[in-house]
Amino acid sequence: MLKSENNTGRLFDTMKQGVKQIGWLAVCLCGIALSMSGCSKTDTGDNTDEMILRRRMPTKLQTLDAGNMRGVYSMEVGGQIYETLYTYHLLKRPYEITPLLAEALPHVSADNLTYTIRIKQGVRFQNDPCFEGGQGRELTADDFVYALKRVANIKYLNQNWSGLKDKIVGLDDFREYTKQFKKELDVDYSREVEGLKALDDYTLRIKLIQPWPQLVESVLTDILSSPVPHEAVEHYGFDIIRHPVGTGPYRLKTWRRGCYIELVRNENWRNELYPAEGQPGDEAAGLLDDAGSPVPFADRIIWRVILEDQPAWMLFMRGELDATGIPKDNFGEAISQQNMDLTDEMRARGIVLKSFDDPSVFWIGFNMADPVLGKNKPLRKALSRTIDRERFIDLFFNGRGHVAHGFVAPGLDSYDLEIARFGYSKYDLQEARELMVEAEAINDGPIGPLKLGMPGTDTFSKQYGQFVQRQFEKVGVMLEVDYMDWPTYMAELNKGQLQLFCSGVSAGAPDAIDFLGMFATKYFSPGGNKFYYSNPEFDELFDKAEVMLTSPERMELYRKLERMVMEDYPAIFTTHRVSYVLHHSWYKNYKPHVFSHRTSKYRKVDVQERNGYKQRLKELKMQEKMAK
Amino acid sequence: MTAYIIRRLLYMIPIVFGVLLVTFCLFTLVGGDISVQIAGKNADAETIAEIRHEYGFDKPLFVGYEPLVDDQWKEPTDPNVLASYIESPDGDDTIILNDYQRIVAIENAKRQWLGGLFKQRLSDGRILDAWSMLDFNSQFLSHFKKAVTFNFGRDRERQKISEKLLQGVGPSLALTVPMFIGSLIISISLSLIVAFIRGSVGDFVIVVVCVILMSIPYLSYIIFGQLFFAYELDWFPIYYDPSRPMAVSVVLPILIGIIAGLGVGVRFYRTIMLDEIRSDYVRTAFAKGLTTPKVLFKHVLKNAMIPIVTNVVLSLPRLVLGSLLLERFFGIPGLGYLMIEAINSRDFFVLNAMTFMMALLIVIFTLVADICYGWVDPRVKFE
Repeated sequence: MLKSENNTGRLFDTMKQGVKQIGWLAVCLCGIALSMSGCSKTDTGDNTDEMILRRRMPTKLQTLDAGNMRGVYSMEVGGQIYETLYTYHLLKRPYEITPLLAEALPHVSADNLTYTIRIKQGVRFQNDPCFEGGQGRELTADDFVYALKRVANIKYLNQNWSGLKDKIVGLDDFREYTKQFKKELDVDYSREVEGLKALDDYTLRIKLIQPWPQLVESVLTDILSSPVPHEAVEHYGFDIIRHPVGTGPYRLKTWRRGCYIELVRNENWRNELYPAEGQPGDEAAGLLDDAGSPVPFADRIIWRVILEDQPAWMLFMRGELDATGIPKDNFGEAISQQNMDLTDEMRARGIVLKSFDDPSVFWIGFNMADPVLGKNKPLRKALSRTIDRERFIDLFFNGRGHVAHGFVAPGLDSYDLEIARFGYSKYDLQEARELMVEAEAINDGPIGPLKLGMPGTDTFSKQYGQFVQRQFEKVGVMLEVDYMDWPTYMAELNKGQLQLFCSGVSAGAPDAIDFLGMFATKYFSPGGNKFYYSNPEFDELFDKAEVMLTSPERMELYRKLERMVMEDYPAIFTTHRVSYVLHHSWYKNYKPHVFSHRTSKYRKVDVQERNGYKQRLKELKMQEKMAK
Repeated sequence: MTAYIIRRLLYMIPIVFGVLLVTFCLFTLVGGDISVQIAGKNADAETIAEIRHEYGFDKPLFVGYEPLVDDQWKEPTDPNVLASYIESPDGDDTIILNDYQRIVAIENAKRQWLGGLFKQRLSDGRILDAWSMLDFNSQFLSHFKKAVTFNFGRDRERQKISEKLLQGVGPSLALTVPMFIGSLIISISLSLIVAFIRGSVGDFVIVVVCVILMSIPYLSYIIFGQLFFAYELDWFPIYYDPSRPMAVSVVLPILIGIIAGLGVGVRFYRTIMLDEIRSDYVRTAFAKGLTTPKVLFKHVLKNAMIPIVTNVVLSLPRLVLGSLLLERFFGIPGLGYLMIEAINSRDFFVLNAMTFMMALLIVIFTLVADICYGWVDPRVKFE
């Protein structure tokens, strides 16, 4: 053994010298590496007086092309860039349609077939290199015509066409006409469509094949009808999904896929004001403090893509995100089990809770075109019987949800209060096993392994997948879970490639017709019917319901249609979500809104309060220590 | 030495060619035509054909079709014959082929026929005729061309892969280079100390600590680091923040990477140092009266450089590809993150490009390692 105090001292001296030399080299290499990261180009964000909305994006975005947008995450971002003719009022409840790019509500002809809409003058597209001189031009009625024709173009492989099919005079013929071309841009958009005309620069006329009371709610408030300038489509081609050009209050500054999205104010945004009217109680809640002030308030909006819940939760608690949902593992920390309200710790931090029934439904869907599942109702029913929905809601949502006995969400007019008594959501393993005997007989043998597509690769998704696997195992069905990111999942789902799939929808409008449309044959995927459910009797009644005006007969028909679908078990409907949203006290003008994604322009941050939050956290910690 | 390097560089050509062949086999032959995945099983024949054309799946694999040969080709129309050219996806014996299956069956039939013809010409000694069948627009050659020009085409989201790779290199290096250098300096320094004090309580404690460090799952370091150092103590950002310089966001992951890798590093280098310390020349050096630091740093470290260099240089390619876990959990938009994204979105085009890049870097750095051997050990001769 080599041991001596003197030697040790010299060893360390020599090491120090060596380390010093290597240290310089190391510093140089690290410096080069860091400079390669492009950090010098990044905005430091030190200007804390700037009003920035800081948000989490729990998944990678699919697209920012308005015509092909369907996922809620894309809409959350796209809703700030694109605008529609109409939207829902920020504060009024029940939800009220209000003009956005339109001057006023549409003029509807006596036969309910012709809608004439005046468009606001002086609205400009954002500045973009696709325009001559880079300056955004004025919006005209032709831009709406172009946007809707584009959705109809079969070569523009979009998922929104089903919403327009068989509705507008001449639009289906236009779609047929586009089939002859090789590429989307080869199509001549000047070809006339009788039902879609710009009468002049500021007047749009839509003629329907038959009355369609949901036109405004389902299409003219939906991002699919947002005007997209033809210059942008021609200039960017495929890359239009990364170069949104709209008329909204914000424009895209940076989109680093899978990392972050940053929007900044649109310089060409018109002068729009915060609403001056609301509901009783809104004034007391401070929701009318900014009445009449020009919007948007925030200078920038930043979404950070954070796949896992835990870092997002920590960022929220540290004040680096303005608002968040509550991850299941942190529910106890945030919400007291005794009164289902905020814990004292949360209150001390100035955190505010907003909870509301989200008109949504979630399910484990069956692909009815699948040879194993489609022809085997006992199998689908048996699998439905294996899911203990109440336990599922407790496990994954800490009780924040209602069991889905049907698929029309509570909160919508046509929600059937009696649906629970039909027992579609029953958990009964004994019955499930009996049904499996029948199912195997139909299948001519044991049921082979099934495959479930799961949208997400995070811990929550993995636990969800494992839960379903365990439940199915109880009746001897093996399940393989295929985890994938959101855009991949959506692409696979739209192409009908998933045998089973975990999905959900939130209502886009107060009418339940969209929920029923998920089962109409004419809306097969990439439309809303991802189940490939087809029932001629249902289709016939659905067509009838679609053109009916609001009446008790229509409501009865809706309920009949819902039960008709439920009897066939095209999915295991699990939950209607109850949303719990936390936000910091500096985050202003937040009122839950379930039908619109265009609310960021009204949001405001008390910058001073947010800047003082870290100090407040330190004081709270000190107080906690003192108390201990 | 220059001649040696040139020779080695020339040797690299067949190696790179081999790598390309392997990646081509993995992603094209084994992975198969993924146009149906992209188009969807309900897509019409026209859409499938467009996608196949866009991604080049409609090109021949190696052997092409000269006009003369093309005239002799007769497309099978009998469904039974066509069905024999495809694998039934569900073990289904049905002979009703969908659009996609029909396209693939016809192409497979044509490829088999051309392959047979090519072999026939070779066996007949008609080399020139066989040569004329080689298609320079084949899938393999475009795979080769893409790799050599580093223009890997577009991914499934239609973004340029080379752009994505270039964007990811910086953040990955910002994370891995300081982590690697820090880990290396600390590991070698500690290993020298423990080798020097081997058998003592200090040595024992350090080895035990190293074993503990090695036993803790990597994810635990990340969660603990985020929770304690970032969240509780507020020393570092919890997650990558695009509004701050990258250097700020990578500090905590760098420290976690260094600590998590320390156990393995110290144990590895300690073994090397101990092997050297037991050598005869060390005993001779001490017998001649050299001081311990001189023996350790001038003689032991120098002689231990061969395994150190091997380990260091062969670790370098991994630096470029980043750290999968750290990048994912800290949201650092590097190549590791890109790799996970590509796996989650089944983007074989990106995976193919990254596999090739990794292989190429390993080949290059193996040469660098060989050159370094000569630099650190004069006994190594380049022949």
